[in-house]
Amino acid sequence: MLASGHLANYLLLLLKGAAITLELSLGSLVLGSLGGIVFGAMRSSSTRALKAIALVYIEAVRSIPFVILLFFVFFAVPLALDMDIPPYPAAIAALSVHCSAYMAEVVRSGIESIPEGQWEAAASLGLPYYRIMRLIILPQALRVMIPPTIGVYVSTIKESSLASIIGFVELLGQGMAIREANALRGSADVLVAVAFGYFVICFSLSQLGRYLEHRTARELPPATKWTKGAIARLLVAGRPETEAVRQTS
Amino acid sequence: MGIYDLNLRVLVPYLPVLGWGAVRTLEISVLAILLSFPLGLVGALMRVADNRLARAIATGYVETVRNIPLLVVLYILFLVLPLYGVRINSLTAGVLGLAINSTAYTIEIVRAGFASIPAGQYEAARSLGLHRLQMLCFVIVPQVFRIVLPTLGNQIVSVVLGSAQASIIGVGELTYQTQSIGSSTFRYFELFTIAALFYIVCVQLISLLWRLLTGRAAHAPLGT
Repeated sequence: MLASGHLANYLLLLLKGAAITLELSLGSLVLGSLGGIVFGAMRSSSTRALKAIALVYIEAVRSIPFVILLFFVFFAVPLALDMDIPPYPAAIAALSVHCSAYMAEVVRSGIESIPEGQWEAAASLGLPYYRIMRLIILPQALRVMIPPTIGVYVSTIKESSLASIIGFVELLGQGMAIREANALRGSADVLVAVAFGYFVICFSLSQLGRYLEHRTARELPPATKWTKGAIARLLVAGRPETEAVRQTS
Repeated sequence: MGIYDLNLRVLVPYLPVLGWGAVRTLEISVLAILLSFPLGLVGALMRVADNRLARAIATGYVETVRNIPLLVVLYILFLVLPLYGVRINSLTAGVLGLAINSTAYTIEIVRAGFASIPAGQYEAARSLGLHRLQMLCFVIVPQVFRIVLPTLGNQIVSVVLGSAQASIIGVGELTYQTQSIGSSTFRYFELFTIAALFYIVCVQLISLLWRLLTGRAAHAPLGT
Protein backbone atom coordinates (compact mmCIF):
# COMPACT_ATOMS: atom_id res chain seq x y z
CA MET A 1 0.00 0.00 0.00
CA LEU A 2 2.44 2.66 1.10
CA ALA A 3 5.16 2.31 -1.49
CA SER A 4 7.50 5.10 -0.51
CA GLY A 5 10.14 3.85 -2.89
CA HIS A 6 8.14 5.24 -5.78
CA LEU A 7 7.84 8.63 -4.28
CA ALA A 8 11.41 9.78 -4.87
CA ASN A 9 10.93 9.40 -8.61
CA TYR A 10 7.82 11.53 -8.61
CA LEU A 11 8.96 14.16 -6.16
CA LEU A 12 10.37 16.36 -8.89
CA LEU A 13 7.13 16.19 -10.86
CA LEU A 14 5.12 17.03 -7.75
CA LEU A 15 7.40 19.97 -6.96
CA LYS A 16 6.88 21.23 -10.49
CA GLY A 17 3.14 20.87 -9.96
CA ALA A 18 3.42 22.87 -6.73
CA ALA A 19 5.28 25.63 -8.57
CA ILE A 20 2.52 25.74 -11.20
CA THR A 21 -0.13 25.91 -8.46
CA LEU A 22 1.67 28.87 -6.88
CA GLU A 23 2.04 30.58 -10.24
CA LEU A 24 -1.58 30.05 -11.29
CA SER A 25 -2.83 31.34 -7.95
CA LEU A 26 -0.48 34.32 -7.86
CA GLY A 27 -1.46 35.33 -11.40
CA SER A 28 -5.13 35.10 -10.46
CA LEU A 29 -4.51 37.05 -7.25
CA VAL A 30 -2.84 39.89 -9.18
CA LEU A 31 -5.58 40.02 -11.84
CA GLY A 32 -8.24 39.59 -9.17
CA SER A 33 -6.75 42.43 -7.11
CA LEU A 34 -7.10 44.81 -10.06
CA GLY A 35 -10.80 43.92 -10.26
CA GLY A 36 -10.98 43.99 -6.48
CA ILE A 37 -9.67 47.55 -6.28
CA VAL A 38 -12.24 48.73 -8.85
CA PHE A 39 -15.20 46.94 -7.23
CA GLY A 40 -14.00 47.68 -3.69
CA ALA A 41 -13.72 51.41 -4.48
CA MET A 42 -17.16 51.32 -6.12
CA ARG A 43 -18.59 49.53 -3.09
CA SER A 44 -17.31 52.18 -0.70
CA SER A 45 -18.16 55.14 -2.94
CA SER A 46 -21.03 57.46 -2.17
CA THR A 47 -22.72 57.09 -5.57
CA ARG A 48 -25.67 54.82 -5.08
CA ALA A 49 -25.68 53.24 -8.56
CA LEU A 50 -21.98 52.32 -8.40
CA LYS A 51 -22.47 50.89 -4.94
CA ALA A 52 -25.40 48.76 -6.12
CA ILE A 53 -23.54 47.41 -9.17
CA ALA A 54 -20.54 46.45 -7.02
CA LEU A 55 -22.77 44.86 -4.38
CA VAL A 56 -24.59 42.72 -6.94
CA TYR A 57 -21.32 41.61 -8.55
CA ILE A 58 -19.65 40.74 -5.24
CA GLU A 59 -22.67 38.92 -3.84
CA ALA A 60 -23.32 37.01 -7.07
CA VAL A 61 -19.74 35.78 -7.47
CA ARG A 62 -19.49 34.84 -3.80
CA SER A 63 -22.76 32.89 -4.00
CA ILE A 64 -21.68 30.69 -6.92
CA PRO A 65 -19.56 27.60 -6.18
CA PHE A 66 -16.16 27.95 -7.83
CA VAL A 67 -16.74 24.66 -9.71
CA ILE A 68 -19.74 26.21 -11.49
CA LEU A 69 -17.74 29.33 -12.36
CA LEU A 70 -14.91 27.22 -13.73
CA PHE A 71 -17.22 24.96 -15.77
CA PHE A 72 -19.03 28.02 -17.09
CA VAL A 73 -15.78 29.51 -18.40
CA PHE A 74 -14.51 26.18 -19.71
CA PHE A 75 -17.68 24.61 -21.19
CA ALA A 76 -20.28 27.34 -21.69
CA VAL A 77 -18.32 30.41 -22.79
CA PRO A 78 -16.58 28.57 -25.68
CA LEU A 79 -20.00 27.50 -27.01
CA ALA A 80 -21.38 31.02 -26.72
CA LEU A 81 -18.37 32.66 -28.35
CA ASP A 82 -17.71 29.81 -30.76
CA MET A 83 -14.04 29.57 -29.82
CA ASP A 84 -11.84 27.18 -27.85
CA ILE A 85 -10.59 28.15 -24.41
CA PRO A 86 -7.69 25.96 -23.25
CA PRO A 87 -7.53 24.89 -19.57
CA TYR A 88 -4.88 27.40 -18.44
CA PRO A 89 -6.65 30.61 -19.58
CA ALA A 90 -9.97 29.16 -18.40
CA ALA A 91 -8.57 28.40 -14.94
CA ILE A 92 -6.88 31.79 -14.61
CA ALA A 93 -10.00 33.65 -15.81
CA ALA A 94 -12.34 31.80 -13.44
CA LEU A 95 -9.95 32.13 -10.48
CA SER A 96 -9.45 35.85 -11.18
CA VAL A 97 -13.20 36.52 -11.21
CA HIS A 98 -13.56 34.50 -8.00
CA CYS A 99 -10.62 36.33 -6.42
CA SER A 100 -11.85 39.78 -7.47
CA ALA A 101 -15.07 39.45 -5.45
CA TYR A 102 -13.16 38.48 -2.30
CA MET A 103 -10.48 41.12 -2.89
CA ALA A 104 -13.24 43.74 -3.34
CA GLU A 105 -14.33 43.02 0.24
CA VAL A 106 -10.73 43.27 1.45
CA VAL A 107 -10.28 46.59 -0.36
CA ARG A 108 -13.59 47.91 0.93
CA SER A 109 -12.80 47.13 4.56
CA GLY A 110 -9.31 48.57 4.04
CA ILE A 111 -10.72 51.83 2.70
CA GLU A 112 -13.33 51.98 5.44
CA SER A 113 -10.66 51.53 8.11
CA ILE A 114 -9.31 54.98 7.22
CA PRO A 115 -10.96 57.64 9.39
CA GLU A 116 -13.42 60.04 7.72
CA GLY A 117 -11.22 62.96 8.79
CA GLN A 118 -8.59 61.94 6.24
CA TRP A 119 -11.13 62.28 3.43
CA GLU A 120 -12.36 65.59 4.76
CA ALA A 121 -8.86 66.98 5.20
CA ALA A 122 -7.84 65.91 1.70
CA ALA A 123 -11.03 67.24 0.15
CA SER A 124 -10.60 70.56 1.93
CA LEU A 125 -7.14 70.80 0.37
CA GLY A 126 -8.94 70.65 -2.97
CA LEU A 127 -7.72 67.22 -4.09
CA PRO A 128 -9.99 65.40 -6.56
CA TYR A 129 -11.37 61.92 -5.70
CA TYR A 130 -8.85 59.78 -7.55
CA ARG A 131 -5.90 61.71 -6.10
CA ILE A 132 -7.27 61.41 -2.57
CA MET A 133 -7.60 57.70 -3.21
CA ARG A 134 -4.16 57.27 -4.77
CA LEU A 135 -2.14 59.57 -2.52
CA ILE A 136 -3.87 59.37 0.84
CA ILE A 137 -6.34 56.55 1.29
CA LEU A 138 -4.86 53.58 -0.59
CA PRO A 139 -1.30 53.90 0.80
CA GLN A 140 -2.67 53.73 4.34
CA ALA A 141 -5.29 51.12 3.55
CA LEU A 142 -2.61 48.92 1.95
CA ARG A 143 -1.10 48.19 5.36
CA VAL A 144 -4.41 46.97 6.73
CA MET A 145 -5.10 45.00 3.57
CA ILE A 146 -1.94 42.88 3.50
CA PRO A 147 -2.90 40.17 6.05
CA PRO A 148 -6.39 39.52 4.57
CA THR A 149 -4.87 39.51 1.09
CA ILE A 150 -2.64 36.64 2.17
CA GLY A 151 -5.80 34.90 3.38
CA VAL A 152 -7.35 35.32 -0.07
CA TYR A 153 -4.14 33.95 -1.60
CA VAL A 154 -4.33 30.84 0.58
CA SER A 155 -7.96 30.20 -0.34
CA THR A 156 -7.17 30.81 -4.02
CA ILE A 157 -4.42 28.17 -3.81
CA LYS A 158 -6.93 25.72 -2.36
CA GLU A 159 -9.57 26.54 -4.97
CA SER A 160 -6.98 26.23 -7.75
CA SER A 161 -6.88 22.49 -7.07
CA LEU A 162 -10.18 22.36 -8.97
CA ALA A 163 -8.35 23.36 -12.16
CA SER A 164 -7.20 19.73 -12.28
CA ILE A 165 -10.70 18.59 -13.24
CA ILE A 166 -10.69 20.59 -16.48
CA GLY A 167 -7.38 18.97 -17.35
CA PHE A 168 -4.91 21.56 -16.12
CA VAL A 169 -1.89 19.91 -14.58
CA GLU A 170 -1.06 21.73 -11.33
CA LEU A 171 -0.16 20.04 -8.03
CA LEU A 172 -3.30 17.89 -7.72
CA GLY A 173 -3.47 17.31 -11.49
CA GLN A 174 0.15 16.16 -11.42
CA GLY A 175 -0.62 13.77 -8.56
CA MET A 176 -3.62 12.29 -10.35
CA ALA A 177 -1.61 11.94 -13.58
CA ILE A 178 1.17 10.11 -11.73
CA ARG A 179 -1.40 7.73 -10.22
CA GLU A 180 -2.87 6.98 -13.64
CA ALA A 181 0.34 6.70 -15.61
CA ASN A 182 2.19 4.46 -13.19
CA ALA A 183 -0.59 2.14 -12.14
CA LEU A 184 -0.38 3.54 -8.63
CA ARG A 185 -4.09 3.43 -8.03
CA GLY A 186 -3.42 0.80 -5.40
CA SER A 187 -1.14 3.12 -3.45
CA ALA A 188 -2.00 5.98 -1.13
CA ASP A 189 1.31 7.76 -1.15
CA VAL A 190 0.90 10.09 -4.13
CA LEU A 191 -2.34 11.62 -2.85
CA VAL A 192 -0.91 11.89 0.66
CA ALA A 193 2.15 13.64 -0.77
CA VAL A 194 -0.13 16.05 -2.66
CA ALA A 195 -2.07 16.80 0.54
CA PHE A 196 1.21 17.38 2.35
CA GLY A 197 2.32 19.74 -0.42
CA TYR A 198 -0.82 21.87 -0.09
CA PHE A 199 -0.45 21.81 3.68
CA VAL A 200 3.14 23.07 3.64
CA ILE A 201 2.31 25.89 1.20
CA CYS A 202 -0.91 27.02 2.85
CA PHE A 203 0.28 26.61 6.43
CA SER A 204 3.39 28.71 5.94
CA LEU A 205 1.46 31.43 4.15
CA SER A 206 -1.21 31.46 6.88
CA GLN A 207 1.45 31.77 9.56
CA LEU A 208 3.00 34.70 7.66
CA GLY A 209 -0.43 36.34 7.45
CA ARG A 210 -1.04 35.80 11.16
CA TYR A 211 2.36 37.29 12.04
CA LEU A 212 1.76 40.39 9.90
CA GLU A 213 -1.72 40.79 11.34
CA HIS A 214 -0.46 40.73 14.91
CA ARG A 215 2.20 43.27 14.09
CA THR A 216 -0.20 45.62 12.31
CA ALA A 217 -2.55 45.40 15.27
CA ARG A 218 0.24 46.03 17.80
CA GLU A 219 1.75 49.12 16.26
CA LEU A 220 0.37 52.57 16.82
CA PRO A 221 -0.89 54.21 13.67
CA PRO A 222 2.34 55.70 12.37
CA ALA A 223 2.91 58.91 10.50
CA THR A 224 4.53 57.45 7.44
CA LYS A 225 6.40 59.08 4.65
CA TRP A 226 4.83 57.31 1.73
CA THR A 227 7.67 57.73 -0.71
CA LYS A 228 8.06 55.21 -3.49
CA GLY A 229 10.94 53.69 -1.57
CA ALA A 230 8.84 53.24 1.54
CA ILE A 231 6.10 51.43 -0.35
CA ALA A 232 8.64 49.22 -2.06
CA ARG A 233 10.20 48.39 1.30
CA LEU A 234 6.77 47.72 2.76
CA LEU A 235 6.05 45.27 -0.02
CA VAL A 236 9.39 43.57 0.50
CA ALA A 237 9.79 43.69 4.26
CA GLY A 238 6.40 44.77 5.51
CA ARG A 239 7.92 47.62 7.55
CA PRO A 240 7.60 51.20 6.31
CA GLU A 241 9.70 54.06 7.61
CA THR A 242 7.72 55.30 10.53
CA GLU A 243 8.02 58.26 12.78
CA ALA A 244 6.69 57.72 16.25
CA VAL A 245 3.56 59.71 16.81
CA ARG A 246 3.14 61.62 20.01
CA GLN A 247 -0.46 61.24 20.86
CA THR A 248 -1.72 64.58 22.07
CA SER A 249 -4.22 64.20 24.80
CA MET B 1 -18.99 34.20 -34.80
CA GLY B 2 -22.77 34.15 -34.68
CA ILE B 3 -24.98 35.17 -31.83
CA TYR B 4 -25.57 32.22 -29.52
CA ASP B 5 -29.20 31.12 -29.64
CA LEU B 6 -30.53 30.27 -26.22
CA ASN B 7 -32.65 27.16 -26.26
CA LEU B 8 -34.37 26.37 -23.01
CA ARG B 9 -37.03 24.11 -24.53
CA VAL B 10 -34.56 21.27 -25.03
CA LEU B 11 -34.02 21.22 -21.29
CA VAL B 12 -37.63 20.86 -20.23
CA PRO B 13 -37.55 17.02 -20.05
CA TYR B 14 -34.46 17.27 -17.83
CA LEU B 15 -35.96 19.65 -15.28
CA PRO B 16 -37.00 16.89 -12.82
CA VAL B 17 -33.43 15.54 -12.85
CA LEU B 18 -32.09 19.01 -12.09
CA GLY B 19 -34.68 19.41 -9.35
CA TRP B 20 -33.67 16.15 -7.69
CA GLY B 21 -30.06 17.22 -8.02
CA ALA B 22 -30.89 20.39 -6.15
CA VAL B 23 -32.61 18.35 -3.45
CA ARG B 24 -29.52 16.16 -3.14
CA THR B 25 -27.35 19.29 -2.83
CA LEU B 26 -29.44 20.49 0.09
CA GLU B 27 -29.53 16.99 1.58
CA ILE B 28 -25.76 16.49 1.72
CA SER B 29 -25.30 20.07 2.96
CA VAL B 30 -27.77 19.55 5.81
CA LEU B 31 -26.18 16.22 6.76
CA ALA B 32 -22.69 17.74 6.76
CA ILE B 33 -23.87 20.66 8.90
CA LEU B 34 -25.69 18.40 11.36
CA LEU B 35 -22.46 16.43 11.77
CA SER B 36 -20.07 19.35 11.91
CA PHE B 37 -21.79 21.79 14.27
CA PRO B 38 -21.85 19.48 17.34
CA LEU B 39 -18.35 18.25 16.51
CA GLY B 40 -17.27 21.87 16.14
CA LEU B 41 -18.49 22.63 19.66
CA VAL B 42 -16.64 19.60 21.05
CA GLY B 43 -13.49 20.58 19.15
CA ALA B 44 -13.72 24.18 20.38
CA LEU B 45 -14.07 22.95 23.99
CA MET B 46 -10.93 20.89 23.40
CA ARG B 47 -9.13 23.93 22.00
CA VAL B 48 -9.84 25.96 25.13
CA ALA B 49 -9.33 23.05 27.54
CA ASP B 50 -6.65 23.00 30.21
CA ASN B 51 -5.56 19.56 29.07
CA ARG B 52 -2.55 20.03 26.83
CA LEU B 53 -3.15 16.84 24.82
CA ALA B 54 -6.76 17.78 24.02
CA ARG B 55 -5.60 21.23 22.91
CA ALA B 56 -2.87 19.79 20.71
CA ILE B 57 -5.23 17.32 19.01
CA ALA B 58 -7.84 19.98 18.28
CA THR B 59 -5.26 22.49 17.04
CA GLY B 60 -3.56 19.89 14.87
CA TYR B 61 -6.89 18.89 13.35
CA VAL B 62 -7.92 22.47 12.58
CA GLU B 63 -4.58 23.44 11.06
CA THR B 64 -4.35 20.28 8.95
CA VAL B 65 -7.85 20.38 7.53
CA ARG B 66 -7.94 24.12 6.91
CA ASN B 67 -4.74 23.97 4.88
CA ILE B 68 -5.74 21.12 2.56
CA PRO B 69 -8.18 21.69 -0.33
CA LEU B 70 -11.60 20.08 0.11
CA LEU B 71 -11.15 18.23 -3.18
CA VAL B 72 -8.00 16.51 -1.88
CA VAL B 73 -9.88 15.46 1.27
CA LEU B 74 -12.68 14.05 -0.89
CA TYR B 75 -10.19 12.15 -3.07
CA ILE B 76 -8.45 10.71 -0.04
CA LEU B 77 -11.76 9.51 1.42
CA PHE B 78 -13.06 8.13 -1.84
CA LEU B 79 -9.91 6.71 -3.43
CA VAL B 80 -7.55 5.93 -0.56
CA LEU B 81 -9.83 4.57 2.16
CA PRO B 82 -11.02 1.61 0.00
CA LEU B 83 -7.36 0.53 -0.29
CA TYR B 84 -7.41 -0.10 3.44
CA GLY B 85 -10.56 -2.19 3.23
CA VAL B 86 -13.01 0.59 4.12
CA ARG B 87 -16.01 0.31 1.82
CA ILE B 88 -17.31 3.78 1.16
CA ASN B 89 -19.70 5.03 -1.52
CA SER B 90 -19.52 8.47 -3.09
CA LEU B 91 -22.44 9.85 -1.09
CA THR B 92 -20.90 8.86 2.26
CA ALA B 93 -17.50 10.12 1.15
CA GLY B 94 -19.05 13.41 0.03
CA VAL B 95 -20.94 14.01 3.28
CA LEU B 96 -17.94 12.94 5.38
CA GLY B 97 -15.54 15.15 3.43
CA LEU B 98 -17.80 18.18 3.76
CA ALA B 99 -18.29 17.46 7.47
CA ILE B 100 -14.54 17.06 8.11
CA ASN B 101 -13.89 20.35 6.33
CA SER B 102 -16.74 22.21 7.99
CA THR B 103 -15.86 20.94 11.47
CA ALA B 104 -12.43 22.59 11.26
CA TYR B 105 -13.93 25.97 10.39
CA THR B 106 -16.70 25.59 12.97
CA ILE B 107 -14.12 24.88 15.69
CA GLU B 108 -12.38 28.15 14.85
CA ILE B 109 -15.66 30.09 14.85
CA VAL B 110 -16.74 28.69 18.22
CA ARG B 111 -13.25 29.12 19.69
CA ALA B 112 -13.36 32.80 18.76
CA GLY B 113 -16.69 32.92 20.59
CA PHE B 114 -15.07 31.48 23.74
CA ALA B 115 -12.22 33.95 23.44
CA SER B 116 -14.64 36.86 23.43
CA ILE B 117 -16.19 35.94 26.80
CA PRO B 118 -14.68 38.21 29.46
CA ALA B 119 -12.65 36.48 32.18
CA GLY B 120 -15.02 38.01 34.74
CA GLN B 121 -17.76 35.64 33.64
CA TYR B 122 -15.63 32.61 34.55
CA GLU B 123 -14.61 34.19 37.85
CA ALA B 124 -18.18 35.10 38.73
CA ALA B 125 -19.40 31.60 37.91
CA ARG B 126 -16.66 30.07 40.05
CA SER B 127 -17.31 32.41 42.96
CA LEU B 128 -20.95 31.30 42.87
CA GLY B 129 -19.65 27.81 43.51
CA LEU B 130 -20.58 26.34 40.13
CA HIS B 131 -18.40 23.44 39.09
CA ARG B 132 -16.85 23.24 35.69
CA LEU B 133 -19.67 21.54 33.81
CA GLN B 134 -22.33 23.79 35.31
CA MET B 135 -20.26 26.85 34.47
CA LEU B 136 -19.95 25.76 30.84
CA CYS B 137 -23.58 24.70 30.41
CA PHE B 138 -25.31 27.54 32.19
CA VAL B 139 -22.95 30.50 31.92
CA ILE B 140 -20.41 30.27 29.13
CA VAL B 141 -21.91 28.19 26.30
CA PRO B 142 -25.22 30.12 26.13
CA GLN B 143 -23.28 33.35 25.65
CA VAL B 144 -20.90 31.77 23.14
CA PHE B 145 -23.89 30.43 21.26
CA ARG B 146 -25.33 33.92 20.88
CA ILE B 147 -22.04 35.40 19.75
CA VAL B 148 -21.29 32.77 17.09
CA LEU B 149 -24.81 32.43 15.65
CA PRO B 150 -24.40 35.06 12.89
CA THR B 151 -21.04 33.59 11.80
CA LEU B 152 -22.43 30.06 11.71
CA GLY B 153 -24.76 31.31 8.95
CA ASN B 154 -21.70 32.00 6.79
CA GLN B 155 -20.48 28.49 7.56
CA ILE B 156 -23.76 26.99 6.32
CA VAL B 157 -23.36 28.98 3.10
CA SER B 158 -19.82 27.75 2.60
CA VAL B 159 -20.91 24.13 3.11
CA VAL B 160 -23.57 24.56 0.38
CA LEU B 161 -20.93 26.09 -1.93
CA GLY B 162 -18.47 23.31 -1.09
CA SER B 163 -21.06 20.62 -1.77
CA ALA B 164 -20.67 21.33 -5.50
CA GLN B 165 -17.23 19.69 -5.25
CA ALA B 166 -18.86 16.40 -4.24
CA SER B 167 -19.93 16.13 -7.90
CA ILE B 168 -16.32 15.33 -8.77
CA ILE B 169 -16.36 12.05 -6.84
CA GLY B 170 -19.75 11.22 -8.37
CA VAL B 171 -22.37 12.41 -5.90
CA GLY B 172 -25.46 13.05 -8.03
CA GLU B 173 -26.17 16.57 -6.78
CA LEU B 174 -26.97 19.66 -8.83
CA THR B 175 -23.51 20.30 -10.30
CA TYR B 176 -23.15 16.64 -11.27
CA GLN B 177 -26.57 16.53 -12.99
CA THR B 178 -25.89 19.86 -14.71
CA GLN B 179 -22.70 18.52 -16.17
CA SER B 180 -24.09 15.16 -17.17
CA ILE B 181 -27.12 16.70 -18.92
CA GLY B 182 -24.72 19.16 -20.57
CA SER B 183 -22.61 16.38 -22.01
CA SER B 184 -25.63 14.86 -23.75
CA THR B 185 -27.43 18.05 -24.87
CA PHE B 186 -24.52 20.48 -25.26
CA ARG B 187 -26.67 23.23 -23.75
CA TYR B 188 -23.90 24.04 -21.25
CA PHE B 189 -24.57 27.77 -21.38
CA GLU B 190 -28.21 27.49 -20.34
CA LEU B 191 -27.52 24.71 -17.85
CA PHE B 192 -24.72 26.39 -15.95
CA THR B 193 -26.67 29.65 -15.92
CA ILE B 194 -29.61 27.82 -14.32
CA ALA B 195 -27.30 26.13 -11.81
CA ALA B 196 -25.57 29.42 -10.97
CA LEU B 197 -28.94 31.12 -10.44
CA PHE B 198 -30.06 28.27 -8.19
CA TYR B 199 -26.97 28.62 -6.01
CA ILE B 200 -27.29 32.42 -5.86
CA VAL B 201 -30.96 32.27 -4.84
CA CYS B 202 -30.28 29.46 -2.41
CA VAL B 203 -27.33 31.19 -0.72
CA GLN B 204 -29.10 34.54 -0.48
CA LEU B 205 -32.22 32.85 0.94
CA ILE B 206 -30.15 30.98 3.53
CA SER B 207 -28.42 34.20 4.60
CA LEU B 208 -31.74 36.05 4.82
CA LEU B 209 -33.54 33.28 6.69
CA TRP B 210 -30.62 32.80 9.06
CA ARG B 211 -30.59 36.52 9.84
CA LEU B 212 -34.33 36.48 10.50
CA LEU B 213 -34.20 33.33 12.62
CA THR B 214 -31.17 34.25 14.67
CA GLY B 215 -31.74 37.98 14.89
CA ARG B 216 -34.10 37.42 17.77
CA ALA B 217 -31.91 34.88 19.56
CA ALA B 218 -28.88 37.12 19.25
CA HIS B 219 -30.62 40.00 20.99
CA ALA B 220 -32.76 38.14 23.49
CA PRO B 221 -31.79 38.59 27.12
CA LEU B 222 -29.92 35.71 28.71
CA GLY B 223 -31.11 33.75 31.68
CA THR B 224 -34.48 32.54 32.80
